[in-house]
Amino acid sequence: MANIVLEGVTKVYGQDILAVDNIDLEIREGEFMVLLGPSGCGKSTTLRMIAGLEEVTSGTLRISDEVVNDVDPADRDLAVVFQNYALYPHMTVERNLAFGLKLRKTPQEVIDRRIRDTTAMLGIDSLLDRRPSELSGGQQQRVALGRALVRDPEAFLLDEPLSNLDAKLRAAMRTELIKIHRMLGKTVVHVTHDQVEAMTMGERICIMREGRIIQVGPPLEVYRHPADSFVAGFLASPPMNLLKARLSGHHGVDEVDLSAVNLPIPRHRQAPLRRHAGSEVVVGIRPEDVHTQEPSDGTHHRVDITVVAVEVLGPEVILVADLGGGQEISVRQGATFHAVAGARIPLYIDLEQLHFFEVDSGLAVLHGGASGPVRPELGSYLKEGGP
Amino acid sequence: MTANVRGTMRKRGRWKFLSWLLPHSILVVFSAVILLPLLWLLRVALTDKSTAYKIPPEWGQASLDNFIEIFTGYPFFSYFLNSVTVALGATVIALPLAVGMAYAFARYNTGGLSLRLFVLSSQMLPPVILVLPLFTLFLKASLINTLPGLILAHMTLSLPFLAWLLVAFFDGEVATLEQAARTDGATRFQALVRITLPVAAPGILAAGLLAFLLSWNEFLYALILSGPHTNTLPVGLSSFQTHRGVDIALLSAATICAILPAMVLLPFLRRYLIRGLSLGALK
Ligand SMILES: Nc1ncnc2c1ncn2[C@@H]1O[C@H](COP(=O)(O)OP(=O)(O)OP(=O)(O)O)[C@@H](O)[C@H]1O
Ligand SMILES: [Mg+2]
Repeated sequence: MANIVLEGVTKVYGQDILAVDNIDLEIREGEFMVLLGPSGCGKSTTLRMIAGLEEVTSGTLRISDEVVNDVDPADRDLAVVFQNYALYPHMTVERNLAFGLKLRKTPQEVIDRRIRDTTAMLGIDSLLDRRPSELSGGQQQRVALGRALVRDPEAFLLDEPLSNLDAKLRAAMRTELIKIHRMLGKTVVHVTHDQVEAMTMGERICIMREGRIIQVGPPLEVYRHPADSFVAGFLASPPMNLLKARLSGHHGVDEVDLSAVNLPIPRHRQAPLRRHAGSEVVVGIRPEDVHTQEPSDGTHHRVDITVVAVEVLGPEVILVADLGGGQEISVRQGATFHAVAGARIPLYIDLEQLHFFEVDSGLAVLHGGASGPVRPELGSYLKEGGP
Repeated sequence: MTANVRGTMRKRGRWKFLSWLLPHSILVVFSAVILLPLLWLLRVALTDKSTAYKIPPEWGQASLDNFIEIFTGYPFFSYFLNSVTVALGATVIALPLAVGMAYAFARYNTGGLSLRLFVLSSQMLPPVILVLPLFTLFLKASLINTLPGLILAHMTLSLPFLAWLLVAFFDGEVATLEQAARTDGATRFQALVRITLPVAAPGILAAGLLAFLLSWNEFLYALILSGPHTNTLPVGLSSFQTHRGVDIALLSAATICAILPAMVLLPFLRRYLIRGLSLGALK
């Protein structure tokens, strides 16, 4: 088992393509870490540097407390599962699985036993004599996983291994991967741009953008306390509504002006906002913090909106509402909710759950809920100047 | 079914027929352009010397006399053997070298684009320009009129083009497989030998066949650098043009024999080239 530590790691491709920009990250021993971010943010590059397939331009990379910047990938004892699986097309499944073990001069009876155990676990024991071209996408994916597992490596590096599967299979494999991780307790670094995967699988999520790490933390922590508006707008589906707003009112922080509607800010929440009194901010409202029936706890504020659209998803309904002044928000409702486009209905917004972000840097100023002002340790992952 | 629907179906049927007819007619014309001279050649090779010249053609009794004569009355077998030796030798030596070059280009970007272009630049000159200095060099090195000399000369032709062609087979998909092997614990060399080469084998084989045919058909270098004992087929064929004129029947028989290996190799070439290319850059 291994921990993986990146210190000031930077990757420059060619002369001037800055793919990874001075990142610090510690992946703990036995941890399931998800690297999450939009396309091109440097997730694969980070993973490939850990694997040793790309050179580290500058910074230090440690595996099990040993600097491995110049260690050959063959000697890092990590297993990589590639997005396109990269199964050896000229070998049977059995020889694909045995390849790494044979290179390490493992005795044949050990190889046989390992292959038997692994294929039984993954349910691919009947495929041993087939070539990769004779397998379905899901089976190939399992074989690729098996090839990683059979070697019993220090850690697993997975680069979007589920992205080529259909939705149903992907959900099943998510659960299975989590189960396997629990069983083996090995360090896993899992790259994805799918926030559902990140939320459901990761013990911690590392959110990247444009080669930098924006935030690292457990899924719920990141969800509840997004470090900036980018993270807030990236997680969950639909994500947090981010609205242009201005702090206003008597002290400059009594209300928030969304151009067509004003929301009062409870007195006990005003202190962290004083620094931005009277200026523009971004207000974040989670789709689940808005209701169509008035809740009884008295923290909600009524606004009247126009229904733009109602998207029926089955177990829930997404209401898209026009607040006026060009601002729209998505609202999550139960399956029984019904409204026609163009109708005027009241909404009740939970004032305790409003998030506030700086306009320029996007940094969080105040999170919703009981958590109050942004906790300093969350901000520690933010590089100078923000994203 | 309404008349309207039936009408569009008939129209679609007609369109389908047209889109079948057009490419097929083009193919028929092209096939004729290529095949008719070959068939003519075969006819002439199978007739006796006097009817060979008759126009309109006369159809006498087919006979193998011409084929027998080129092997008995002429050193045709020696031409044939020389050609096989040179083509095979040049290919077998050039191919591993080209694999090494292409691997260096693909994985390490050795010398950058400028070296790749430089390698190819020798191919951009007309061979006539190169063959004269080569002649002088070979004369000094006593390589004139020897088979090793001719093999070397043909390698200067095939090596650059082989290396250039093979780079494509080492890029793309195979590169990822090689990386998978590296993380599986293979050294660079093990990954090359056990993964890259087997996977790229169809492409490498196709490139080898091309190099073989290039050398097999090569005329200018062979003419200038070889002597009576080292003449290859193309040079030998030209020797059927004697001072008494061209013995067209013998020449036809010899030509048929000379293109036979190419005809045998072509189906393989096509199969491997398509598989090789679809593994490589075109995918
Ligand atoms: N071999 C390379 N040469 C040059 N630039 C590269 C190379 N590989 C990646 N890049 C660039 O580096 C940046 C990061 O790429 P990377 O593959 O790490 O992104 P990613 O987060 O994995 O994206 P995706 O989700 O699309 O896979 C991109 O801008 C990409 O264009
Ligand atoms: Mg990627």
